[in-house]
Amino acid sequence: MSEFRPTHRPALGTKQTVSSAALRLSPLPEGTIIHVLAQPGEQDVVSFLGRFTKSPAHAVRPVSPGQWFIVHDEPMPHQEMKSLFATLEPRATGVDQSHGRVRIRIEGKMASRALSKGTAIDLDPSVFPIGQSAVTLIGHIAAHITRVGSEAFEIIVLRGFAESLWDDLARMSLEFS
Amino acid sequence: MASLVPCPNCGRRPKEEFTIKGAALSRPAAGADAADWFDYVYLRDNPRGAYEEYWHHTSGCRRWLVVSRDTQTHEVAACRDAADGSRLEERA
Repeated sequence: MSEFRPTHRPALGTKQTVSSAALRLSPLPEGTIIHVLAQPGEQDVVSFLGRFTKSPAHAVRPVSPGQWFIVHDEPMPHQEMKSLFATLEPRATGVDQSHGRVRIRIEGKMASRALSKGTAIDLDPSVFPIGQSAVTLIGHIAAHITRVGSEAFEIIVLRGFAESLWDDLARMSLEFS
Repeated sequence: MASLVPCPNCGRRPKEEFTIKGAALSRPAAGADAADWFDYVYLRDNPRGAYEEYWHHTSGCRRWLVVSRDTQTHEVAACRDAADGSRLEERA
């Protein structure tokens, strides 16, 4: 047996929260992220998903046509997830991404200014209101951005890129700290 | 090259988010002649002017798009999801 024992630890566990009066960058708990992919041609999947996600703890975030993330701060027990996947079928398929993606929160009155350095999307509240999501590049890293509050964003990124993106975001936030 | 692509799912996005596959040609039938397949796989026009291309929105909605653009003026005339609408007309 290998001497090397993989241990599960949070991807951003060693990172210090970046905090100042204008901006705060913090890793979110590695709870639950479920990627939902609808069968082609399915309609009203959002209201269908709404039935299974106990609001407001579980949030449904649009990803692209026919795809959503269900996110939750707490890990979902295996049995609960299995039964959720079973109820989604055959209209949609759920994939557990809890260990595959990491969530980062950036908030404060300079949060959108800092994010705008890395992404091309317009983050003005008039076109990117609360609840709006978009998949885009932040620098060279693909990430999913959601406005979760008037001055708060949640970023979902692939785990392997999380540290790199965190370092980029911290550097982008330097002038506001 | 077009630097802003109007993705039908995501809105206007910079070209860095996309991967370009190449000309949007209609695929020969499975049992088509080897010459037709050779033509489809290897032979490409390099038009000056209107051009239809497959673009993949890799860092966005991850959908295949058909971008109609002008290779001379860099204008993007249209952009649609490749799954929408009928198959492309047979090219002469």
